Amino acid sequence: MDIISGRGLSVGYGKTEVLRDLTFGVPEGRITVVLGVSGSGKSTLLKTLAGLLPPLGGGFAFDGAPVDYRSEASLALVYRRIGVLYQGGALLNGLTLAENVALPIRMHFPDLPEDMVLDMVHAGLAQVEMADAASKYPAELSGGMRKRGALARALALDPDVVFCDEPSSGLDPITSSRLDGLLLRLKETFGMTLVVVTHELRSIERVADRVLVLHDGRLHFDDEASALAGADDAFIRTFFLKESAP
Amino acid sequence: MSGTPSAAPPERVLLPKRLRAAEVVDALADLRRRPENASVVLDFGQVEEFDSAALAFVGYVRSRRLPVVAANVGGALARAEESFVRRPPAEPVPAPPEDGRAGRFARACADRFLDRVRALGRFLAMLGDEAYHIGGYLRTRRGVYPGETWNQMFFMGYQSYPIVCLLLFLVGVTISITSAEQLRVFGADAYIADIIGYAMLRELVPLMTGVILAGKVGAAVTAELASMTVLEEVDALRTMGLVPEKFLMVPRLLAITLVVPLLVAMADVAGILGGMIVARVTFGMLPAAFLEQMTNTVDWVDFAWGLAKTVVFGWAVVVGAGFKGLTVGRSAEEVGRATTESVVLSITMIIVLDCVFAFIIY
Repeated sequence: MDIISGRGLSVGYGKTEVLRDLTFGVPEGRITVVLGVSGSGKSTLLKTLAGLLPPLGGGFAFDGAPVDYRSEASLALVYRRIGVLYQGGALLNGLTLAENVALPIRMHFPDLPEDMVLDMVHAGLAQVEMADAASKYPAELSGGMRKRGALARALALDPDVVFCDEPSSGLDPITSSRLDGLLLRLKETFGMTLVVVTHELRSIERVADRVLVLHDGRLHFDDEASALAGADDAFIRTFFLKESAP
Repeated sequence: MSGTPSAAPPERVLLPKRLRAAEVVDALADLRRRPENASVVLDFGQVEEFDSAALAFVGYVRSRRLPVVAANVGGALARAEESFVRRPPAEPVPAPPEDGRAGRFARACADRFLDRVRALGRFLAMLGDEAYHIGGYLRTRRGVYPGETWNQMFFMGYQSYPIVCLLLFLVGVTISITSAEQLRVFGADAYIADIIGYAMLRELVPLMTGVILAGKVGAAVTAELASMTVLEEVDALRTMGLVPEKFLMVPRLLAITLVVPLLVAMADVAGILGGMIVARVTFGMLPAAFLEQMTNTVDWVDFAWGLAKTVVFGWAVVVGAGFKGLTVGRSAEEVGRATTESVVLSITMIIVLDCVFAFIIY
């Protein structure tokens, strides 16, 4: 079953359409990878699905309910069920890592005892192997640590869907692989749905169940990851088999 | 260098082995020194070391923009030239609408005016939102990070007192010196206390405090919020189900509301003290006499008006700064621009509001 389904969705900024007429589904409990070359609209699509950028046309449904951008209640429902890992982490610089992870818990459940909040934060940080860095500020963390910390924050409220915007960008292969391992564990252990925007081939091969390929402002490919190898398409071959561009 | 080549045999110019940007510049200068109709063959045969300027030079010569012929372009230079992607011909610039210069100017003015009207609409909407969020926060005590209001009070208040007091003290001294000269002419020395008290409490302290807050607090708030916007921290707050306009702005608005009374009181004291010192030095007026004379003219209503004005100016500064910070684009360059615009916007609003207050109070 699809937890997110787009119907004729067009996204972009202002009057500039970046992607048009996308019809697709994001299956529940699996990892869907959105890929495409730089500037193909991957992050724009993710922002729209995360409730940050109103669609220019068409729409999408979250767990069967159409998302209405004009309704705060409709968006609030989406926000309560998603977590987002931003490209640069987007941790609040004035707060320690633990305070960052505690932020959504404290804000949404202000009546929870502080001890419980701290236990939840510790468990969340331990899950991403960052418990030792709890008292550090984002500026004191490396790029990979910031991303893992941001992932812990995205998971703080146990979301149904986690959006990851280029989680591997700027990371070395070992750190990148650790992050991929974390994403796989979230799917396998907690049955989470993940939407991962990336163009890292190694990550795609390792984590993707389903793949959406964006190219030339359209959805170019929407199928199981295993179907990529047999895809008879010049762009896909260029992308995956590293054939030289025509 | 345009013109028809002469019938005389072309002159052959042998280019050096090393043909990089500096040598290309020399070669072009050499060509320009020749008579307009001189015919030249540039011999690239010896060129071994070259850069992109040399490749562009070959294309420039071949394009016949000079009465020059390229010869012996071979070897590595020829291979590199093949892969040197030439600039496509410039696309024709669309003809401007046929409404003349005045029409275009009018259209540009109208567009700019409409942009300003839209921005004003967004600003007023944000002002309304903030009033709503403050009400919501005071009712539920939710949606704002615990302790953030104290942090902001420390920054806006404690860290602003020294500069506000110093500047208002100096303003008091200046006004007093300026007034003393005129008062002495009319033998109205004693009225210096009235002037200082009235000017400070009602006008100069609110106005100067507002301007200092615009420069210190407004700029800092805009820079911080704009950076958060650029770094996607504001988006992150939104996708955490928080309302950034509440989470970030309510503590700042509460802080400015709470620190302004003390700030105004201290600035009043500093300004009056400045005036009092000048009165003592210039007219030998004792402080007790100064205060007695002053309190005959000004009372707590004047202080209250000054306080009310400064609170309104403080709100204008913080809302203006937040508006600029949260509506910034996505590039680091825009952070600086937004910060400058925020200060200009705040000071403009303060002066406009001061004018409105003048109509209300007097």
